[in-house]
Amino acid sequence: MKQQQSERRGLTRFAVPEPVAKLWTLAAPVLVVWLVSLGASALSQTAAIDLGYALANLIIVVAMWTFIGNSGVLSFGHIAFVAVGAWTLSLLTIPSNIKAAIMPDLFPFLIDAQANPLVALVIAALVGGLLALLSGLALMRLNGLEAGIATFALLMLVVQVLTYFKQIGPKSGQSMTGLPRSFDLQSVLVIALVVIALAWCYGQSRSARLLRASRDSIQAAPASGITVTRHRLIAFTVSGALAGVGGGVWAQLNGVAQASQFSLDFTFTTIAMLVVGGMLSLWGAVVGALAISALSHLLGVLEKGLQFGDVMVSLPSGSRLIVLGAIMVLVLIFRPSGITGGREATWPFVAHIRRAPAAQTS
Amino acid sequence: MNLIQALIDATSTGAVYALAALGIGLVFGVMRLANFANGELITAAGYALVLLWPVSWPLAIIAAIVVSVALALFMDVAVFRWIRSQPPATLLIASFGLSILLQRVFDGIFGTNVISAAVAPGLAASIRIGDLRINLISIVSIALAAVLLLLIRFFLTRTPMGLQVQAASEDFRAARVLGIRAGVVIALTFAISGVLAAAIAFVLTTQSGGVGPTFGVQVTLFALIGSTIGGLGRLGGSVVGGFVVGFAISIFTTWLPSWINDFRIAFVYLLVAVVLVIAPNGLFAGRAVKERA
Repeated sequence: MKQQQSERRGLTRFAVPEPVAKLWTLAAPVLVVWLVSLGASALSQTAAIDLGYALANLIIVVAMWTFIGNSGVLSFGHIAFVAVGAWTLSLLTIPSNIKAAIMPDLFPFLIDAQANPLVALVIAALVGGLLALLSGLALMRLNGLEAGIATFALLMLVVQVLTYFKQIGPKSGQSMTGLPRSFDLQSVLVIALVVIALAWCYGQSRSARLLRASRDSIQAAPASGITVTRHRLIAFTVSGALAGVGGGVWAQLNGVAQASQFSLDFTFTTIAMLVVGGMLSLWGAVVGALAISALSHLLGVLEKGLQFGDVMVSLPSGSRLIVLGAIMVLVLIFRPSGITGGREATWPFVAHIRRAPAAQTS
Repeated sequence: MNLIQALIDATSTGAVYALAALGIGLVFGVMRLANFANGELITAAGYALVLLWPVSWPLAIIAAIVVSVALALFMDVAVFRWIRSQPPATLLIASFGLSILLQRVFDGIFGTNVISAAVAPGLAASIRIGDLRINLISIVSIALAAVLLLLIRFFLTRTPMGLQVQAASEDFRAARVLGIRAGVVIALTFAISGVLAAAIAFVLTTQSGGVGPTFGVQVTLFALIGSTIGGLGRLGGSVVGGFVVGFAISIFTTWLPSWINDFRIAFVYLLVAVVLVIAPNGLFAGRAVKERA
């Protein structure tokens, strides 16, 4: 945030070649996430635990940005891919004997299936991406707002199936336990940074540029020969795969996976992060996820109670979502494009592009 | 005559969902806001009903209407009035946030547990005609929905205010230029959606007898999805879409064999997906005035 303010005041900026300025839009979020992680894990035990969840949420929010930010189409359904990712990783890493004990109705091949956690994470991404591809075939035919509302249906459908389909999970509504902890905070951080890099790479691709053109003008882009549906579908698939990774990491940290956890509250928390940060930029997704996570940690501490001399100050439990909801609504009223304004991180550099005569000939 | 009985039950469920879709559709027409927080209007009215019904039933009904209309107007004044010019997606996100926020507020005031009271216990009875056993509440909800639909249709087509609402739904900017007061028209549609929410809450509390913080969420979600498959921005389409979804839920609940009955809700969503693949703009989509320029 501080960086953004100084940028708007037009403080010290250095003209650098355009590729460097572009790379900085990747380097800045990565650096910030890394520094925040370093600080939070040094702060306290609870901060370190919350940091894990913050990074998992960060992955999910970045995944949502790859679709929502580039296409401009809302999706309330990404938690479905998160759920599927969490399910896949859980089924592949819980030891066979525990699986057989807590999920007696499981398909036989699922009881035997085992994978190393990193491989399981890749498979979680594949399953998430596949689900996104298949559901996208139906959803991406819709226009903006209808697509957004229909993604609610996708989320509910997936949650219902995971709740009741006992051949792929526990009996109705129960939870999957016995997940071995294989990722420490360090590896979660690395995974988060890789996801940011992947999302950034996708954002630089031709397909993503064409998609952003369609976001900015849904009339002009098809007229210029862009098949909007296809590029939306690509974005949705990439985004579903990254959300699957987020779900896998989240299940690893949580240790338990239960269908009812993938609820509207979860959807809301991640959407709020994206909206508060600014949903049109990767930088916004990162800033939003970190800012809301920090706030959430603070409110969590306050809910437990804080000693000020003789006075015990504590918030009623559940106030976390009230504050979060209020903040999101206020941001939407006063700064609808989010705290980053939907711009990528550029400070302290500025692309040296205008003055280069070579650039103007194209 | 199991069939007729099931059809009547399904029609009554469909009627409730159609009312919810109507409330959402009216607000969507003038505001381009798909109001997710409509569910919290239903919840608020539901709380008023279960808390006050043991005291006095006329008071409970009046309170339910007053509370939900007041909350609807408050939503408009506190949130939506300020972001009226934003794109529909922003409005939808804001209403989603408002919905979650209000759920937590209900949670804080009334607790997470379901508050129960017998609302209109007289309607729990059923009447027999030959072999046919018909729940009184089914008849009442069909009648209530029919009366409200006709009243709103009369209001929209025969009164000056209703015509203004229609004009604003057609072309908001042109309507303003012609001297229609935007704030009044929008507040009016919010108020009507509040009245409809109170009616829905009455039927639902009579059926279930209990209200929790997420009481109105499911019916709203289905009504939103129903209006989408019917065609957002077409009032008739929204109502029919809502009815179809409610009807399907009831039929699936009755007729799916027990081994897949758990998946009845999943089947409804699957049905929605199939409809959307066939008709991406909704079954009754008219001219596409989706985004206000």
